[in-house]
Amino acid sequence: MGERLGVGIGWRSEIDLTVERMPGVDFVEVVAENLHHDELPESLLVLRGRGLPVLPHAVSLSLGGADPVEMDRVEHLAAVAELTGAPLVSDHICFVRAGGLDSGHLMPVPRTREALDVLVENVRAAQSVLPVPLALENIAALLRWPDADLTEAQFLTELVERTDCALLIDVANMWANARNLGDDPLATLDGLPLERIAYVHVAGGLEKDGVYHDTHAHPVPAGVLELLGELCSRVRPPGVLLERDDHYPSDEALAAELAAIRAVVER
Amino acid sequence: MSRAELAAAQAELLRAVLAGGPVPDGFDAAAVRVEAAALLAKRRRIVAQLAPGVAEEVGDRYAELFAAYAAGNPRVTGSRFREDAAAFETWLVERGEIEAPKRKRWWKRG
Repeated sequence: MGERLGVGIGWRSEIDLTVERMPGVDFVEVVAENLHHDELPESLLVLRGRGLPVLPHAVSLSLGGADPVEMDRVEHLAAVAELTGAPLVSDHICFVRAGGLDSGHLMPVPRTREALDVLVENVRAAQSVLPVPLALENIAALLRWPDADLTEAQFLTELVERTDCALLIDVANMWANARNLGDDPLATLDGLPLERIAYVHVAGGLEKDGVYHDTHAHPVPAGVLELLGELCSRVRPPGVLLERDDHYPSDEALAAELAAIRAVVER
Repeated sequence: MSRAELAAAQAELLRAVLAGGPVPDGFDAAAVRVEAAALLAKRRRIVAQLAPGVAEEVGDRYAELFAAYAAGNPRVTGSRFREDAAAFETWLVERGEIEAPKRKRWWKRG
């Protein structure tokens, strides 16, 4: 679905020049909460000037939360979408806030019918304000809720059918959940409406004390690229994007990771 | 499960991973501990980046002190990481772990 994006990288202010100079960057993604609603950083204007798509990626809508959606957060995302001229925006299938507390990170939602109903309602509320399509991303979870009614594939499929949202499939998150929670990522891929994928995330991480952490601060493991290959053998995703948020390696090392991704996508 | 029940369940899980609350029924206790540690580490990393001087001043004890601070001060809805960093600094000053920063003493004369 959607327009062809190619291979991209998450734009971060710490590596703005790196991203501008790096060969093989077809599009970028930017964390929506890090942008002002009325002015883009110079570097993003440079990239927009070259015609590169800049896709806002939100982390704070808490669309899986039982609390009503905070519409000012959606309005910010909408404003940033206008500012970047983005073809689509995204956030995660998760909750961030509950009971007056803020986790500061993405928490999994129970895969129950009731939780799905709440998510669907919240997604529709967000869509009513957004000027462009919304894609929703599967997260990496370190724990699972008891008493799931649905598999991850069923949950995502029904979410797509009921809200007409697109999917942002993070293969690193799927791989992490396979390692940590025993999920079967191939079964999930086989059960997903793959034609609804807007783009794909790839990232690195680190195993510590027997738990794999999706840090976005370490090299991409071979297993994640293999899972990307499995996805690409089933569907040609419109785009694949590398997320790197910390401990930035040399420009050459980042470019090599992008090249490795491209090699899998174009195989 | 209603929206209200889901709200209660989500709040209970956040209390467990952020504020030392009991592990909710049906959850794996070890996994809840891993999640709590991961959330704490992320919060600590962000606060350290926002106030590198404080991290430098307390040195090796940073993680231990931040854990003690965070246990009593879970992040509340609407708070910002800059406020978190400032609150941690105040917490350290109150306990005599660091000296009050000079810039906050503008009211003192001579």
